[in-house]
Amino acid sequence: MIRRIVAIIIKEFRHIMRDWQTLMIILLMPVLMMFLYGYALTMDLVEVPVIIVDPAMSDEVRTISGGIDATTLFNVIGIERRSDDPVALLKKHHAKLLVRFGPAFAKDLRSESGGADVQVLIDGADANTGTILRNAIGPMITKAALDILKLDMPKAITVHPRVLYNPQQRSALYFVPGLMAIILLMISAMLTSLTITREKELGTLEQLFVSPLKPREIIIGKILPYLLIAAIDGVLIMIVGRYFFGITIAGNAVLLAGASAIYIFTSLAMGLFISTAASNQQSAMMIVLPVTMLPTIILSGFIFPISSMPAVLQYITYVVPATYFLEIIRGIVLKGVGFAILMKPIVVLLAIGLLLVIVSIKRFRVKL
Amino acid sequence: MKLIILMIWKEFLHLRNDKLSIKLMIFPVIAQVFIMGYALTTDVKHTPVTVLDNSQSLSSRSLISSIRANELFDFKPESSSFNEVRDRIDRGDVRLGMIIPKNFENDLKNGTGANIQIVIDGQDANSSNVSSGYLNAIVNLWGSTYLKKQAELMGKDIDVLIPVKVNPVILFNPLLKSSWYMVPALVVLLITMVTSLLTGLSIVKEKEKGTLEQLMVTPVKPIHLILGKTIPYLLIGFVELCIFIVLVLLWFGIPFKGSFFVLLLFAAIYMMSSLGIGILTSTIARTPQQVLFLIWFVLIFFILLSGFFIPVENMPQWVQNITIINPVKFFMFAVRELCLKGTSLNDMLPQLYNLAIIGIVVFFASVLSFHRRVS
Repeated sequence: MIRRIVAIIIKEFRHIMRDWQTLMIILLMPVLMMFLYGYALTMDLVEVPVIIVDPAMSDEVRTISGGIDATTLFNVIGIERRSDDPVALLKKHHAKLLVRFGPAFAKDLRSESGGADVQVLIDGADANTGTILRNAIGPMITKAALDILKLDMPKAITVHPRVLYNPQQRSALYFVPGLMAIILLMISAMLTSLTITREKELGTLEQLFVSPLKPREIIIGKILPYLLIAAIDGVLIMIVGRYFFGITIAGNAVLLAGASAIYIFTSLAMGLFISTAASNQQSAMMIVLPVTMLPTIILSGFIFPISSMPAVLQYITYVVPATYFLEIIRGIVLKGVGFAILMKPIVVLLAIGLLLVIVSIKRFRVKL
Repeated sequence: MKLIILMIWKEFLHLRNDKLSIKLMIFPVIAQVFIMGYALTTDVKHTPVTVLDNSQSLSSRSLISSIRANELFDFKPESSSFNEVRDRIDRGDVRLGMIIPKNFENDLKNGTGANIQIVIDGQDANSSNVSSGYLNAIVNLWGSTYLKKQAELMGKDIDVLIPVKVNPVILFNPLLKSSWYMVPALVVLLITMVTSLLTGLSIVKEKEKGTLEQLMVTPVKPIHLILGKTIPYLLIGFVELCIFIVLVLLWFGIPFKGSFFVLLLFAAIYMMSSLGIGILTSTIARTPQQVLFLIWFVLIFFILLSGFFIPVENMPQWVQNITIINPVKFFMFAVRELCLKGTSLNDMLPQLYNLAIIGIVVFFASVLSFHRRVS
């Protein structure tokens, strides 16, 4: 039995080496994705362009603008004297923020009654960037103005934040482990469904079934190579994450390997299930993209937080296996939590996988 | 000319009977509008939060109730020890923990100022940054209201003590809704899918059936063929664009401030690139399945590097330099500018030129490679 399975495995590897499409998914895709999510896709805002309008060109404003410019968040690209139309000015300079001081700012600042008004225009088109800028600019200007007057702000409460798990707040730490969920799914679900439907399309699956090979030997032989490739890719992601992006596994690496194996199993089961539903490669592809890839990227919490979605979509996220795997992998890699806490997602993941395998075996039998 | 019209007519007849293409025209619309439109949100809402109140005083209860009343947070049961807070963050039950010290009320009253600690689940840098900013703002608001009341009791007006008042005005998207930014961008994905996928599939199918060779021996020239294969999808692209702009923007209540003709102009120039990509893939691929795969593969990278959900300005400089060849980026920029800001064509000329250069290069490259393949 083992010899026959090995024969099928070798045959499958030959297929893989011959097919550029499969090779692209196995080799090129993980490398490019790692590079993109590790280096290019970062949510960290830096050097946001700011325009200052100060009709008086006072020293006070220059000091404040120097303070704004000195932060990594903002970059003052110019101080203008006139602003007949501040919105047009903002647009013209492609600035995200315009801070407009009054002509008597220096005097108002020191007046006994009231205080100086400062108007801030924020380009809020990108809501996320707008929120961060709005939260940051007010305290910054107030602080700089108080420093000029050598005053302390009467402050009732000081908040001391303590950031856990990702203290430097780097996006790569969040994205790169999450990438495992996508790449493993792509290899396991997409490639297995394509390879099985290809044999169906060519009619070679029927030939295999009339050969002395047993159905389970065929399935195992076709699936094992992809399991192996997925495992290797998974290890590679962690190694690259370690040496290029400084991502260390805070928790138990063995637990991570075990949970990844369960996720790969569930993904393979999805691939198997799709191949029972599709008669050719084209329809397999048509099912794989919207049914597995899209939800994994969008509805799993990979980038977009689930808690911000409407309730209906939140229910859908419960049936997406990647939702559970992301909880597990981020739990182990970033938080360093153990099996006791992660038991629930691990069990659910396993249950989804088993359910899919049972259903697809039933459907497989019916068809033959 | 007559030949081209006939070719276009033939293409529409084909389309009517082609289930896959019809699915590709309808499914993405539904998926994008009803799933992506709601799911692709960078808003940070309903952050689960717990409080550890060591003070158990009137002031601490008042502060807690102001957080409880805020919709940005989901208030979970209070914790009874620091270890419990930490444990609940580990379990993922809450993402923020606020710890109020024992002497909170005393520190407030004797004027030294109170301290509170917040513990943040920092895995997702963006969400944790925004949600801790919100919590900070609530606490500060509560604090300044408290100071004001105290001062009033003593007959003073605290506002005089604050030398600056910063009045932020949010332009273009006053409620800072992320759907206003994300939904218009979806039309770009939609048009790209329809034009590049359908063109590529349609050519490859003729290749597969051998009808492409049959066409080549008729008086139809390659250029007729290309125009006949692209113009129908260009038209479909325009129709979907109009439907999208009218229905979807109304559904989500998003404004369209710019000129519709400028949008059509950008769309027409953009479609040169997307149709070109469709033709190019059809010369490489041999089966419809390979077309699907190749276009999906290429689009992933174009979309990720377009500023769709992560601003291009955040990327390292050398990556930004690469994005200059990405047509999706320029069209998406234009759509967003037109919807939210009503930017005039004059202010977007650099983007238009860039898009035009990319479009011309891609389209002619695809025509050349198609020409070489068929002859």
